[in-house]
Amino acid sequence: MTFLAPAAAILGLTLPAILALYFLRIRRPTRIVPALHLWPDQIRDRQANVPWQRLRPGWLLLLQLLAAAALVTAAIQPALPASATLARHSIVLLDASASMQATDVSPSRFVEAKRQIGAIIDQLGPDDRMTLIAVAPTSRIVTSSIGNRDALHHALEAVTPSNGSADLSGALALASGLTRAGDDARAYLFSDGIVDPLRAAGDGLPFPVEYHRIGVSGENVGLTSLSVRTSAQSRAATLHVQNFGQQLRTVAIEWRADGRLLDARSVSLKGGEAQDLTFPVPADATAVSARTDSGDIFALDNSATAVARTPRAFSVVLVTPGNVFLEQALRLRTDLKVDVVAPSAYRPGSGYALTVFDRYLPATLPVSPMIVIDPPTGSALAGGTAIGVGKVRASDAGDPLLANVDLQDVHVARSQDLRNSSFGRTLLTSLQTPLVLVREEPYRQALFGFDLHESDLPLRIAFPILVQNLSEWMLPSSVPSHSVQPDEPVTIVPEAGATSLSVTRPDGSRRSLPTGSLATFGDTDQTGVYTVDQVISGKTDRSWFAVNLFATSISQLKPPDRLTLPPTRISGAVHAAHHGELEIWPWIALAALGLIAAEWLAFHRGL
Amino acid sequence: MAPPLLEPETLRRLETLALQVRRAVTGQLGGERRSARRGRSVEFADFRNYTPGDDFRLIDWNAYARLDRFMLRLFVAEEELPLSIFVDLSGSMDWGTPNKALVARQLAGAIAYVALNALDRVRLTVFADAPTSGGAPYRGRRAAAELFARLQSFPVGGVTDYTRLTWPIGRQRPGMSVLISDGLGPLSIDPAIAALQRARQEGAVLQLLAPQEISPDWSGDARLKDAESGVEREFTATPVTRASYLKALAERGREIEEAAHRRGLRFARLSTDQPLEDMVSRTLRQVGLLA
Repeated sequence: MTFLAPAAAILGLTLPAILALYFLRIRRPTRIVPALHLWPDQIRDRQANVPWQRLRPGWLLLLQLLAAAALVTAAIQPALPASATLARHSIVLLDASASMQATDVSPSRFVEAKRQIGAIIDQLGPDDRMTLIAVAPTSRIVTSSIGNRDALHHALEAVTPSNGSADLSGALALASGLTRAGDDARAYLFSDGIVDPLRAAGDGLPFPVEYHRIGVSGENVGLTSLSVRTSAQSRAATLHVQNFGQQLRTVAIEWRADGRLLDARSVSLKGGEAQDLTFPVPADATAVSARTDSGDIFALDNSATAVARTPRAFSVVLVTPGNVFLEQALRLRTDLKVDVVAPSAYRPGSGYALTVFDRYLPATLPVSPMIVIDPPTGSALAGGTAIGVGKVRASDAGDPLLANVDLQDVHVARSQDLRNSSFGRTLLTSLQTPLVLVREEPYRQALFGFDLHESDLPLRIAFPILVQNLSEWMLPSSVPSHSVQPDEPVTIVPEAGATSLSVTRPDGSRRSLPTGSLATFGDTDQTGVYTVDQVISGKTDRSWFAVNLFATSISQLKPPDRLTLPPTRISGAVHAAHHGELEIWPWIALAALGLIAAEWLAFHRGL
Repeated sequence: MAPPLLEPETLRRLETLALQVRRAVTGQLGGERRSARRGRSVEFADFRNYTPGDDFRLIDWNAYARLDRFMLRLFVAEEELPLSIFVDLSGSMDWGTPNKALVARQLAGAIAYVALNALDRVRLTVFADAPTSGGAPYRGRRAAAELFARLQSFPVGGVTDYTRLTWPIGRQRPGMSVLISDGLGPLSIDPAIAALQRARQEGAVLQLLAPQEISPDWSGDARLKDAESGVEREFTATPVTRASYLKALAERGREIEEAAHRRGLRFARLSTDQPLEDMVSRTLRQVGLLA
């Protein structure tokens, strides 16, 4: 047993003080009574009537001495060796991801993890250090303290689970940064094991990691995607429902548009089975939502929301003698309103957001985003003499504009020589000449050096994707059109002339954003529909985006028995863990309270 | 000069009272009581007012003619009622406000006066650790002053010992006895009451307590000193100890009352803050000692 506050032993002087009070004379007034034998033979404190007379034992004295002894013992804070093995520096990694909200352990995995961490905090010695790290989409150090259990308890209590994933790699990197080689450190991971895939950790972790599995069950039915499709005839939503558990589950699904109940269906799913359901979307609906009443252990994936309102359309003009490929590729994007005009009919300054010139270029270029394809010889952007070209390749394979663009079988027969062009940076190139150039200034613009008809690019799946990427780069939606994951930052593009920009979250709280340039909105921890309001010329322009969990890796709640963690690089000599200390003084203080109550009772009973 | 034991006004009111005897008595001298013996003396002794229940044959009609009220002619030959009064003047009686010993003396004097007024023979005994005779029996109203003076002359003190009271009680001829005490001695009063029964005494046991002992009005730490033995003890008065004391007091009173009733005696519990006239004319009449 150790004593955390041995200096408090000086309070032990209260015991002889109590005894002295019993020894010391107490002056009592003399009262003559007719019959002394009728009065009970008792006095309160059994004080002697002369100083330092022989002490007469009594219940009150005994109880008072016991209570004082218990209080003094509590004050010096005795501690017993605890069962847990602690290092001098305990790094506690608390999984604060969405899956920790599962209720398969009562009241939830997260609360259970906090309870277990609290038990470790209680065993910390006065010289032991603990660092608490919350493992969330963005892991963070919650607190780091030496011996201050109260501070650790308070910090632990303040941690709340996020609705996102668990970036364990980031958390381990944070922890590694806190320790040096040779430190007596040990990490404790309290998690359900549902974490983002681990990234390589260099030459290993400088501390061992104990995985404390939280959670037992994976029985969960979740909604993992919801998308609204608009066709010429109708609008419909597709909902993906999946049973992540092992048992057959029947769930009822409510379908609502702007809160109005439109449909309710019952779906039976075997273990591991998934099903796609299609629901109609009313023409006037702003948002649609689906909800299951499964009452399972995880509520976060029991609802899904999608924005049904068609985004604000951009006007695009395609100036071409005729190019079906290009026209179709542009029309794939539903928020583009494409006008096709012949070069002879083109009038500059028509207020289009994007102008696409195919084999034509006016004398005066538009002051707006623009795509120029195979500019005529002699025009402002024309390149050198056409040369034969073979295989097409990316100038930078990691360029976001080439995301998902497969150039494997793309060829170009002939292209203008753009090697001497000062248009901008190269996006696509070949051995002979750059093929596609892009530039940011003065506006986002692209220059294709070849006629599409002299390439098999329009026949490849890469073409519509490339056009989509370019058009989205040039005309970004003011808000995301796809579902955003919780805690994922959202880029909002203020409209030109917007004087104010604000976002209203699903819970009704409102955040204001600057209107000058691209705004990043990070408070997307809640699931549901977010409303973006922009005031333009006194009128409010409203748009929406949806945040949903939609993560099968999280909905798959079954905690793994083992978690493959990065290797540890420590020598055995450093691994000098010791037993924690279990404070028992609260119990002793409680006993003292009981003794004081007994003494009070004994006094009033006249013992 | 010490104040009189009883005020003249009190004495006048006492003259209207009489001891109530349940059975015929046999006295050595005549009295106004109807005796079991035959014959009557012709020696005039005294007059007194007629009270209902008196033998109307003794009404002095000449006196009625003169005074227009009924007067009884009392003859020596009439049999007297032997009345013995035992007054506790132990140390515990010198306590309380009003003082128990003072009130006990007044009460004994009042009962004696009622008896003397009826030409009964009154014997006085005070006791504490040992009984002390109050002298030769008193008889006739004129002996009242001497009896009062004698009552006031006894000192107060000593430890109550009821067992030593059995001897003077045993010497009494059959008659009436009144035992006045607080009954709080360390020993039981039962031997004295049993002796009264054996001596064929009818009468009463009057327990006299001070209001301060019926309801103690103090609390806290104290050094208790026994009024009789002088024994001291440290004590802390709490609600619990107070309740314990009251329970013991009530138990002692109940023991005395049960012992008295078991021996055919009357019992009354009196408080010293009760006016004397209220005691004799109400309480003692209620228990049937006086009429």
